[in-house]
Amino acid sequence: MILRNLDKKCLLKTLERQFANNYATVTEAAKESREEFKALNLKHVKGQVVQKRAPRKLDVLPPRSKQMATDQDWGNVWPGPRTFHPSTVPLPIRQGYVEKGAPPDKYANAELMKIPNFLHLTPPIIKRQCEALKQFCTPWPKNLNTQEKLIENFPIEVTTSNYCLSSPSIRNPLARIVTLTIKVSSLSLKGAMDKFLRLVGERYNEKTDILTIVADRCPLRKQNYEYAMYLLTAVYHESLKVEPWENLKSEADMEYYNWEKNASKKSIEQIFGKPVEEIPNSKMYAEAVSNLMNEGESDYTIAKYGEAVRTLLNLPKTA
Amino acid sequence: MSLFLRFRLRNIQKNTLGKTFYSSKAEEKIEIPNRIPRGPTDILRALESTVSRDPTAAHYKYHDDPFLIPMSNVGKRTFAMAQESGRKAAHWIRKEHADLFNHRECEPPIETFFPKITFNKNSKVTEEDLKNVIDDVQISEAVNVYKICKENNIEVSQVSQQKLLELLCYYNSEDTLDKEFIEERWFRQSSRLKEKQRKIWRDGNFAEELFISIENPTAEVYSAIIQGMAKHLQVERAWQLFEEAQQKGIIVNTDTYNSLIAVSNYLKEGYDQRWSFAFDLLSDLNRANLKPNLGTLNSVLKTLSTMGTGRVTKTYTLQVLREFKDIGIEPCLASWYYVLITFCKDRGPTSTILTDILNFVENKEHKIQDITDTNFFVTAMDICRNHLHDVDLARRVDKMLNFGSNYDLMGDSYKESIYYRNYFVLLSESLPLEEFMRDIYEKYVPHIYVPEPGVMGEILKIVDINGAIEFIPKLWSDMTVFDHTNRENLLETVLDIMVNNEIESELKENFSNIAWDIFNRIENQNENRTNKIMFTGDLLGKILTLVTRNKDFIKSCTVMDKLDKGHSTIVGVPKIEALSLFVDQCIEEKQPSRAISCIQYCSDSGFPEATILAARLNEKLTLDENHLNNLSKIVGDLSTMKAQ
Repeated sequence: MILRNLDKKCLLKTLERQFANNYATVTEAAKESREEFKALNLKHVKGQVVQKRAPRKLDVLPPRSKQMATDQDWGNVWPGPRTFHPSTVPLPIRQGYVEKGAPPDKYANAELMKIPNFLHLTPPIIKRQCEALKQFCTPWPKNLNTQEKLIENFPIEVTTSNYCLSSPSIRNPLARIVTLTIKVSSLSLKGAMDKFLRLVGERYNEKTDILTIVADRCPLRKQNYEYAMYLLTAVYHESLKVEPWENLKSEADMEYYNWEKNASKKSIEQIFGKPVEEIPNSKMYAEAVSNLMNEGESDYTIAKYGEAVRTLLNLPKTA
Repeated sequence: MSLFLRFRLRNIQKNTLGKTFYSSKAEEKIEIPNRIPRGPTDILRALESTVSRDPTAAHYKYHDDPFLIPMSNVGKRTFAMAQESGRKAAHWIRKEHADLFNHRECEPPIETFFPKITFNKNSKVTEEDLKNVIDDVQISEAVNVYKICKENNIEVSQVSQQKLLELLCYYNSEDTLDKEFIEERWFRQSSRLKEKQRKIWRDGNFAEELFISIENPTAEVYSAIIQGMAKHLQVERAWQLFEEAQQKGIIVNTDTYNSLIAVSNYLKEGYDQRWSFAFDLLSDLNRANLKPNLGTLNSVLKTLSTMGTGRVTKTYTLQVLREFKDIGIEPCLASWYYVLITFCKDRGPTSTILTDILNFVENKEHKIQDITDTNFFVTAMDICRNHLHDVDLARRVDKMLNFGSNYDLMGDSYKESIYYRNYFVLLSESLPLEEFMRDIYEKYVPHIYVPEPGVMGEILKIVDINGAIEFIPKLWSDMTVFDHTNRENLLETVLDIMVNNEIESELKENFSNIAWDIFNRIENQNENRTNKIMFTGDLLGKILTLVTRNKDFIKSCTVMDKLDKGHSTIVGVPKIEALSLFVDQCIEEKQPSRAISCIQYCSDSGFPEATILAARLNEKLTLDENHLNNLSKIVGDLSTMKAQ
């Protein structure tokens, strides 16, 4: 059916073309014949009588999917990605939508040609290609069998991207960007952690404990990679440095209020006359004081503080 | 801005903190294996090795679409050459309008896409330009640049001069086909060149001029010019120059000796002289302390292959192979080709050396080492068919051809078609027809090989012998596709097979259609064709028989009319059986006037059986006055006939 429609379409197309050719030179003979379409002839030009040659009939092979054996090797028929072709795919595929009736079949079906297909990547072919590529692969290191070991031994992850595109140039400026990630806990920072985090700023993700350095200022990937590694080294060693004035840090310079080291602890020890550990409810009090100092004064923290003081000193609760 | 379809591939690389890849804990030593080295295209090649030829598809150079797949040999050639001519047109445009193609956006630049730089008398050239055109194999341009250099007194180093001389000698100072035109190389029948083995060296060409202009020619210069002359069969001059070099005490290289040995059959007449000539040259080679190479082996074998069918030649051949093997030179396919043509001569005794050769070369991937390597497969198959008639051997040769990338050594389309012609005919003669059609014909035809009319004739003959008429419709439809329908002998064979094997089955209709198709094809031949097929009485008779057997009365009448009207132009007459069949058909259809005109034709053609037919007609049908009168006019009194 479809084939016959196709033939008709082809015929119509050739007719159309012929009309276009004869547009200006329509002839009396053509006018007479009933089948011919009368072309618009505004200037009344009488053209020459053009003898139409009967179009040569072309023998066309049947679709080759009909010759295919049922046990053929599909990988040979469809070796690479290409647009769908009805005479090559021996499947009764349908695609598209019509108001009434079944979806159109594969012949002359633009819908099937539009969508990308994966006919070249059937499971047995993938398997075969993997077999062929195995010769270039090295075995995975035996001892490196868990994710923990992987992170422990190879804490730095460098990510780059390659771009494959159709253009006169194979270069893509985005390919230069190098992203370096590292779990900060794998660096032996100890006391310098604070300084390190201050140096890296927002590049550090607190939730995942991962530091990300993106280097894109140099034109080449290699340069960017080296720059990222340099940054990591520099920031690490910089944070390990201890300046002489750091020892002059007083209580007022502290980043946050630490109850253990402050006068509040000493004074309750004085009041009770015994170390903190032995004072009942001291923990609650310590927490309330640090909250008040660190988070600032609010209704909540003050209320909490009052409550803690009352509990500590065994005072009756306010009504 | 255009939209790119873009693929982004992420590479993630894991690094250690320290320099070493070993972790600090001693018991957990992690060893990362070394990367396996690979070239830039190795992955693609590995993937390509998983794909083999699909017999239902045309070669990948054609579009995979029923309307665009070539179906005959002519079609294959035309389609491929049409593509090539498009390519050539593009090259021409680029050459004519070089100024329009300076848009150099690509990165990295693709030199082959840019217009070639041309030089004229006024252009400033350097030796660098000369080197570039030599590397690019632009022969006339190289000569041009060299001349400009000389005119402007630009120093050309000895190395460049030598390179230019070698280029000119190799190509005989003539421009060669661009390496991009592979289709033209494939389809031009280079093997035909073999037939006209004559001197093609252009005397006094620029290579010679250059040679003369070089003062104190070195060994390399002599080697180049001698090889060039020997290659293009200017053998006398080559030999002269060789002697000249020897007198001067210059030792030319091994390849020069090889090229001289290879042309010994042009220098010496007798077989013994040729052998002693080659032997002398080999001794010279030895005395000059030069190492022989594969080329030496091939040249010696080539000389031996021109030395007739004597037993001595064969002994020498084996000895040469042995000796070269001892010095570590393995023969290539070209060597085996020479051995084959030495041992398997048309007039000589049968030799099974191919079996022994196959044991050496089978299951191996061969790379081209000598240009004659491409002759091996076609010769081996020829020997399988014409010399040994051995199917198993032919299959082994074919298996070897399809091993790895050995198919690259097929040569060109001409060799390919001869190869398959031999393979097909051999298989069709030896295999049971069923098997042949199922396993071989279905697989190779039409995409890998289109049988030539001759091969088709052979197949038809075998079909005829086996009476396997069930293949006729298939073969006929193939023949129409392959443009074999203008071969009179093939048409006759097909008709003969169909007429001689009378059957009572649905094939009858097929046969009738085929006969009718043949009739129409001959009827509607192109007016302008040179050798048109003419209807003969016999041909029409066969068509008539087949159509009538299927009881297509209208068609039968058309054929009969053709016979009747073309009485003067059609040569010969049909067999009486056909006419009698037609009369019977007329009786069945109750068409006495048709029958009478047929009987008229019979009697006009001088068949005595006309009277019998008339009697039969009279008997079977009740004829009216008119008809009876007509009949009696033709055959005389009807009442007497009845008695007979």
